[in-house]
Amino acid sequence: MTADPAAAIPDALHGAMLLLTAAAVVAPLIAVAVLKLGGFPTSPRTPAAAALLISCLAASGIVLLWNSGNGESFSSGERLGGGSLIQIDGITAVLMPTVAVIELAILLVAPKRFLDVPATARILCAASATFAAFATSHPLVLVAIWVVTALPTWISIRGTPGSRPAARVFATAMLVSLGCLTSGTVMMLVDPPWERHAGIVGNAGGWLVALAVLVRKGIFPFHSWYPALFSGAPMSTALAATMPQIAAYTAVRLLIGHADHGDGVALELVTLSQLALVTAVYGGALALVQRDLRGLIGTLAMSQSAMVLAGLAGKVPMELNGAFCVWISSGLALTGIGLVAWAIESRAGPLSLATPQGRFRDAPELAAFFLLFGLAAIGLPGTLSFVADDLIVSGSLDDQLHAGLMTIASTVLCAIAVLRGWFMVFGGPTAIDGPKHLILRRERVAMTGLLVPLFVLGLYPAPLVRSLERAAGQLLGVPVEESGNPPPSLQESSSGS
Amino acid sequence: MIPLICSVNQTRGLPAGLTQDLVLMLVVAQLLAPAATLAAVGLPALFGFPLGERRTTWCVGAGFATGFAAGLATLVVLWFRNFVPEVVHLGTWFAVGHHAATIELVADGLSVPYVCFSSGLCAVVNAFAGKYLHREPGFTRFFVLLAVFGTGMNLMVLAGSIDVLFAGWEFLGISSALLIGFFHERQNAVKAALRAFTTYRICDVGLLAAGVIVHQAVGSGDFERLFSGTWPHAQCLVPPTTATLVSLLLVFAAMGKSGQVPFSGWLPRAMEGPTPSSAIFYGALSIHAGAYVLLRCEPLLDAAPLARLLLVMIGVGTAIHAVLVGSVQSDLKAMLAYASMTQAGLIFAEIGLGLRTLALIHIVSHAILRSLQILRSPSALHDRHELEAALGGHPGSGGWSFKDMLPEKFQRLLYRVALERGFEEMAVMRGVVDPVWRGLERLDAAERSWVEWLGKSWSWRHRRGGP
Repeated sequence: MTADPAAAIPDALHGAMLLLTAAAVVAPLIAVAVLKLGGFPTSPRTPAAAALLISCLAASGIVLLWNSGNGESFSSGERLGGGSLIQIDGITAVLMPTVAVIELAILLVAPKRFLDVPATARILCAASATFAAFATSHPLVLVAIWVVTALPTWISIRGTPGSRPAARVFATAMLVSLGCLTSGTVMMLVDPPWERHAGIVGNAGGWLVALAVLVRKGIFPFHSWYPALFSGAPMSTALAATMPQIAAYTAVRLLIGHADHGDGVALELVTLSQLALVTAVYGGALALVQRDLRGLIGTLAMSQSAMVLAGLAGKVPMELNGAFCVWISSGLALTGIGLVAWAIESRAGPLSLATPQGRFRDAPELAAFFLLFGLAAIGLPGTLSFVADDLIVSGSLDDQLHAGLMTIASTVLCAIAVLRGWFMVFGGPTAIDGPKHLILRRERVAMTGLLVPLFVLGLYPAPLVRSLERAAGQLLGVPVEESGNPPPSLQESSSGS
Repeated sequence: MIPLICSVNQTRGLPAGLTQDLVLMLVVAQLLAPAATLAAVGLPALFGFPLGERRTTWCVGAGFATGFAAGLATLVVLWFRNFVPEVVHLGTWFAVGHHAATIELVADGLSVPYVCFSSGLCAVVNAFAGKYLHREPGFTRFFVLLAVFGTGMNLMVLAGSIDVLFAGWEFLGISSALLIGFFHERQNAVKAALRAFTTYRICDVGLLAAGVIVHQAVGSGDFERLFSGTWPHAQCLVPPTTATLVSLLLVFAAMGKSGQVPFSGWLPRAMEGPTPSSAIFYGALSIHAGAYVLLRCEPLLDAAPLARLLLVMIGVGTAIHAVLVGSVQSDLKAMLAYASMTQAGLIFAEIGLGLRTLALIHIVSHAILRSLQILRSPSALHDRHELEAALGGHPGSGGWSFKDMLPEKFQRLLYRVALERGFEEMAVMRGVVDPVWRGLERLDAAERSWVEWLGKSWSWRHRRGGP
C-alpha cells in the first residue's frame, strides 16, 4: 500500500495538533506533581508560571497549525452523541490561547501571601481541566470537566475566612447545574436530538442541558451566585471560574447543530439567548449602584458573560462571530480589571465605591491599567469589544432588532458603571505622605499581556474575524460567504437599478 | 488594504491622479499625526518612563501642527478641484459575510476647513498648556488626553461613514470626561466628570441607534449612500421616514454633546477641569461637535421638517435658558459656560432654519472668541486692574440692558428662576434620575437579601433558631 502524500500532510498536522493539545493540558499537571513532591525550593509561582507558559505556547501553536490547515476541524478518539473525545476546531484554536493567557496572568498577579502550594495546585488543576474542556466535544467528558472545574473553586471559597455563605451559594448553584447537565446529557444520549425525529426524552434532555447552562453561566433568574462569588472568593478563584465560560462552550457543543431545527439553532439556545439579553442589561443596571469594587466586577462579569450567550443563538455566522469576540474581549478585559483590583486590595484592603477612595496618587500605573481595561470592556473604538458589539448588533439587524438595541443598552450601562468605578476608586482626596503602591514587574508583564491583544485585535481584527467566521460556519454547518459582499437584497436592487 | 480614491476630473490645471494621491496622503497625515503623538507620549508613560515636560509639549504640538499644515495643503488641493468632495477609502477594517466595516473618510468644503480650524486651535492651546500646567502632577496625562481628543476630533470631522464618525465621537466623550475629572482629588471634579460622561453615554444611544437604522436602510454606514453632492447643497438619497428617524436620533445625540436643554446640567460643572481643556472643549470644539454632526448630515435634515422644527425649538429654548441662568452666575468660568451654551443653542436654531453657512461661520467665530476668553479667565482680575489703572478709575456699568424694560416684580421672579437654573436640573433629577437610582438600589438590596438567605447555614440547629 503506498502512502498518499496529500493525506500525509493533514495527518502530520493533526498529529502535531494532538501533541500540542496534550502539552497544554499536561504541563500544568506536571507542575502540580513537582510542587506536591516538594522538588522546587523557591516560590511555587516559578514552576507554575513555566507550566502555564508552555500551555500558552502550545495553544498558540494550535492556532498556527489550525490556520495553516485551512481551518479544518480535527477529531479523534471515542465518539458519543454528537461529539468526539478530542475535537480541535476553530473554537479550540481561538479560545484556548485566550484562556491560557488569562490563567497565566492570574498566576503572575496573585499576591505572594496568597500563593501557597495548595492554592497554586488548585489554579493549575483548574487550568488543566479548562484546557481539556476546550479540546473535547464528548458529552460525558464535558460533564466530568464541569465537576472537576467546580471542585477547586468550591474548596478555595470554603477555605477563605468569612466566605462560608458564598461557598454555600456557589455549591447550591453548582449542584443544581450539575444535576441538570448530567440528567440532560444522559437523556440526550438515549434519544439523540442530533438525529432527526428525536423523541420527547431527547428534547427534554436538551432543555435540562439548557437549564444547566442557565445556572452555570449566571443567567437571569439564576444569576445571584455570580456577584456573590466575586464578593466572597479570592479574585483568582472567581476569575478562573467565570472567565473561560465552560458553560457557554458546553452550549456550543451540545445545543448548536440539532438536526430538528432547520437553521441549526436549538430552541433551547434561542430561549437562553433571550434570557441572556435580559441578564446583560440587568447586570449593567445593577453594576451602576454597586457599593464595592468586587460587586462591580461581579455584576459586570455577569452582564458581559451573558452577552456571549446572547450572540450564540445567532442564525448567521456574524452573530456567532460577535459572540466569540465578546468571549475573548470580555475575558481578557474583565480579568485585567479583576487583577488590578486584586493588586490594589492586596496593598490597601477592600475598596468601597460609596465615596471616592483617592488611590490615584498611590498607584497611578494601576489606575492607567484599570482605565484601559475598563475602556476595552465597554466597546471603545479601537478595542476588540467594539468589533464584538458591532458584529452582534449588525448580525441582529435581520431577524432580532431588539437584540441589537439591548446590546446597545447593556454597553451604555456598563460604560457608565466602569467609569464610575474608576473615579470612585482612584478619585478623591489622598494623603500626600501616604505609601506609594508601585506596580511590580510581574504585574506589569501580566497586565500588558492581557492588554496588548485587546488593542492589537481591536485595531487589526481582520485575521481573528476571518478565523472566527470559519469556526462559526463549521458550527452552523453553513458555507462561509465571501466577506464584504453586499447582502443579496442589495445586490438585487443595485442590479435592478 | 488598497487605498482607493473616487476619480473626479474637474481640476484647475492639475492632473487628476496627482491630486488624488495628494489628498490621500494629506488626509491620512491629518489623522495619523495626532494619533502618532498619542502613542509617542502615552506608551512611555504607561511603561513608567514618561517624557519630560518640554518633549511632551513639543511632541503633541508637532502632531497638531502637522495636522494643521496637512489640512491647509488639502484645502489648496481642493481649491484646485473646485471643492469637489474626495472620498478616501482606506480599506476594510474587518468583514463578515455581507457586513463590511470600511474606513471611509471624506475631504470636502466642510471637513477640511474644520480640521484646519480644530488642529490649529489644539496647537495653540497645547502651547498655552505647556506653560500653564508646568510642574502639575498630571502634566503627561493632560497631554495624552489632549492627543486623544485631537485624534478623535479629526476622525469625527473627516468621517465618511457613520461608523467612523461614531469612533471619533467616542474618543471626544471619553477624553472630555477624563479631563473634567483631571483634578481627581477634588470630589466636585469627580462628580462633574461622572455627570458629563453619563449624559454623553445616554445621548450616544441616539448615534448608535442612528447607525443601526442607517445600516438596515442602506446596507452600509457610508454617507455616500445617504446623500450625494457638494456640501452645503447635497441631496438626500433615503426616504423621508428614514431621514426623519435618523435625524431625530442625531439631534438627540447632538443635544448631549452640545449641552442643550434638558441635557445641559453637566456643562457649567465641566469647568472643574484645567483651564486649557475647558477652553478647547467647552469654549471651542467639543461643544460644537453636535452641531458639526448635524451640519455633516444636513441633507437628512432637509428631508425631515419635524427634526428641523425640533432643532429650532431646542436651540432657542436653550439660548433663552442659558442667557437667563448665565446672567446670575458669580463664577467667571460658569458664566462663560452659559455663554457657550447660549451660542450653541443659537447655532442649533440656525441649522434648523437651514442657514448652514452662517452656522459654520458662527461656530468658528464663537469658538475662537470663547476659547480666548476662557484662556484669559484666570487672569481676569489682573486684566481688570490693568484696565482700571489705564483709565484712572472704574470703567463704569454696562449701560442699558433688556432687563431694565421688565417690571421689577417680574425681574425678581426671573432672578429666582435663574438662581435655580431654570428648575431644569431639579426636574431631571427628581423626575428621572432619583427614581431610577432608588429603584436600582432597591433591586440590589433585594439581590443581597436573597443571596444572604441562600448562604445561610441550613443545619438542624439553625432551623430551630439556635446560634
